[in-house]
Amino acid sequence: MAALSRAALFTGALLIALGLGVFATKTLVYGLPVRPADTRGLWQVELRITVRGDGRQGSVTALLPGPAEGQVVLDERSTSDRLQFSIRSRDDLRTGVWQGRLEGVHEIFYQFRVQSRGVTFPLPDGPVPAPSKELAKGYGRASHEFPASALEVRDILDRLALPPAENAVDRLRKVFAFVAHEVATAASAGSDALLTLSQREGNETGKARLLVTMLRAAGIPARLVRGLELRELASPEEQVWCEAWLGTAWIPLSPTDGFFAERPANLVPLGNGGREPVEATGAQALGYRFRSLQERLRPEEVALLMEPESALLADVSLYKLPVGTQSALRALLLFPLGALIVSLFRNVVGVPTYGTFMPLLVAFALRGYPLGPGLVLVAFVLAIGVGTRLALERLRLLMVPRLSIMLCVVVLSVAALSLIGDSLGVRDFFAGVLFPIVILTMLVERFTIAIAEEGPREAFVPLAWSLLVAVAIHPVFRNAFAEHAMFTFPELCLVVMGGLVWIGGYTGYRVSDLLRFRALAAEGARG
Amino acid sequence: MTPGPPWRGMRRAGVLGINGRNALYTLRCNPRRFYPLVDDKLATKRLCEAEGIPVPKLLATAHHHFELRRLLAELERFDSFVLKPVRGAMGNGIVVVLGRRGDRFVRSGGREISREGFLYHAAGIISGLYSLAGHSDSAMVEERLEAHPALAGLCTDGVPDVRVIVYRGVPVMSMTRLPTRHSAGRANLHQGAIGAGIDLSNGRTHHAILRGKTVGVNPDSGVSVIGVPIPEFDRVLEIAVHATDQTGLGYVGADVVVDARLGPVILEMNARPGLAIQLANRAGLLHRLEAVDALPELALPLRDRVKLGREIAERCREREAA
Repeated sequence: MAALSRAALFTGALLIALGLGVFATKTLVYGLPVRPADTRGLWQVELRITVRGDGRQGSVTALLPGPAEGQVVLDERSTSDRLQFSIRSRDDLRTGVWQGRLEGVHEIFYQFRVQSRGVTFPLPDGPVPAPSKELAKGYGRASHEFPASALEVRDILDRLALPPAENAVDRLRKVFAFVAHEVATAASAGSDALLTLSQREGNETGKARLLVTMLRAAGIPARLVRGLELRELASPEEQVWCEAWLGTAWIPLSPTDGFFAERPANLVPLGNGGREPVEATGAQALGYRFRSLQERLRPEEVALLMEPESALLADVSLYKLPVGTQSALRALLLFPLGALIVSLFRNVVGVPTYGTFMPLLVAFALRGYPLGPGLVLVAFVLAIGVGTRLALERLRLLMVPRLSIMLCVVVLSVAALSLIGDSLGVRDFFAGVLFPIVILTMLVERFTIAIAEEGPREAFVPLAWSLLVAVAIHPVFRNAFAEHAMFTFPELCLVVMGGLVWIGGYTGYRVSDLLRFRALAAEGARG
Repeated sequence: MTPGPPWRGMRRAGVLGINGRNALYTLRCNPRRFYPLVDDKLATKRLCEAEGIPVPKLLATAHHHFELRRLLAELERFDSFVLKPVRGAMGNGIVVVLGRRGDRFVRSGGREISREGFLYHAAGIISGLYSLAGHSDSAMVEERLEAHPALAGLCTDGVPDVRVIVYRGVPVMSMTRLPTRHSAGRANLHQGAIGAGIDLSNGRTHHAILRGKTVGVNPDSGVSVIGVPIPEFDRVLEIAVHATDQTGLGYVGADVVVDARLGPVILEMNARPGLAIQLANRAGLLHRLEAVDALPELALPLRDRVKLGREIAERCREREAA
């Protein structure tokens, strides 16, 4: 008796050969990169705008990334139905305008790649020359937004005892230190400059406005900058910071995030001034959302994938999909690898788990977190679920309503955890967990039944194995190389399938058989 | 002793692993469409009754929640009975009622259950709590069997049964499963029952395991479980083969209880019988299964096939002993 039938051996080998063949062609003939490049600071960003109108002429305006120190915008693309797109550039402010008759719902996509590195700006040593008339007029004057001539602003500057005007760098430092350290940050506080000053508390915009106001009052031209903070495995966050003119250049600084004369690599400025990132005229409703994805390829490699020598290759490249779809597919294409690991554990090692793909889903849920905290979250939800299940036992409810009640409790506990997470400053706490949490409800039910039926020890063993298999899959789900390889070469799924055919056709002993029947093995060895 | 990897010794001993059982025997010999005949205990019962194979008598059934009150009313006439899920697995969800104490039922093992508790349990069965795939199920109540005096002495609690593996109409291996206090009266090895392998040629137990380890006595009572003759063993094998013949399945485990009153009756059948029977017999299944495959003719009368199975078992045991 062979451990693998000839048919299974052949089918598996065929699938593996097919997958590797396509893979080899793509890498060797067309030169697609096998390893992800070290592309820290290379991002793909997508802005999706939804606008609704009643048939009048209108326009949508969005701030676009422009040339900035340490930042290169690579390829910009826009698709929009029934609207005219044009880019306007004035001074260093770039905007995209979509114009036309707004009728019904319009969807606008704007995509770009940006390469951004952190930049440190040198501060002038000597005295700083007075700003030009034009600059002083544009960025030095008091306005509604920046009431630089208000009495209380003068007052506080007097109290700060600023150094003389030609020593602009020290002036800047002193004002910055005041707003950064003496004024508290609270998301719920106001965004008005004077209110922020009087209450010594403001939100991000309020603090930035106060800093600009005080700098202008102190004779240093200053302005607001809006931009995006790009984050891994999460949507970009809109940010506001400031820039001050020190004779030769605009110096970025943020009284909230605390950077001074530098710009972190993951901040992409979109434009200066008081404008919202997306505005519309003649529209009834407007909504927008930024998404981003850390790019794993160098720009020239992306070009190779987007427009390769072979037209066929271009047609099947996943890189041309919208950013949201791409990031979903990147996660999805890791599932076959996870399933392969589950099959190995179940059919070759022979461990019991609750539900076939439960470990896979738990591992997926933990994708956004390091292992330790992720397991604590799962344990927390499991504990609440099992506690509820035992409490419900007394009520003697029928199964489906009882399961539904547990689902409610599990969902509520997730909501509570998210609130706790938010107050601790952890955003998107449970973003990825929401879906598999529902499956945890089923795990709770099976676990409690097993406790009653077979005792706590027997019930705990499959639970421990389920989590252990999830732990084994977890690093694969967080591996940049695996993600890149499966996304760039989806044909590797065929290789995985070939491996699965082999595992599925394997009729030899499992590791668990070897342990269980070891007494008989001794018998056979004696005979 | 030849040193070597454990799988070589196991292969030589003819041990059947889980993958081997699934791929080579159950997947190949058991057509899926016949599974309901053994997974559904009511269907099994009808099948056997039509052929005159003895089974425990059905007392009542409930397919829907609203029928549960009626079920309870119908049971007033009986003192002892067994509540089971129709599509249960591994002995889960079974309640054995020995008698009444006031308004409450006395379960095996001395625990009591109120009428409300009994109804709640039956409702759980109908909701599918104990069924194979979690689908909704039905509850059935059977007469309670009583162990044959020759076997009753082996265990303090519950009813022992005899598991017979039948491959393509030939019995190949057998064991008796003795409930212990730890298995709470249930005859399932993974729940802590004793499995005692039966020598097919003489119908006596020859080796026994408890939780995978060799034992000689029942730890509850200290009674030896080795060398015990199974009463009416010929008849046990015959009804096992007769019942499995009706299913259309090629690799089946038949569970037979030797009742004090009725003699051997078919309790249920299983299309995915466990592999621990090999440990209980201290012998692998593979050599016996291969010997059946090597037989020139399988379309034989029932008694001849039982005889063939016993001969194969004897031959294999002699070879193992050599």
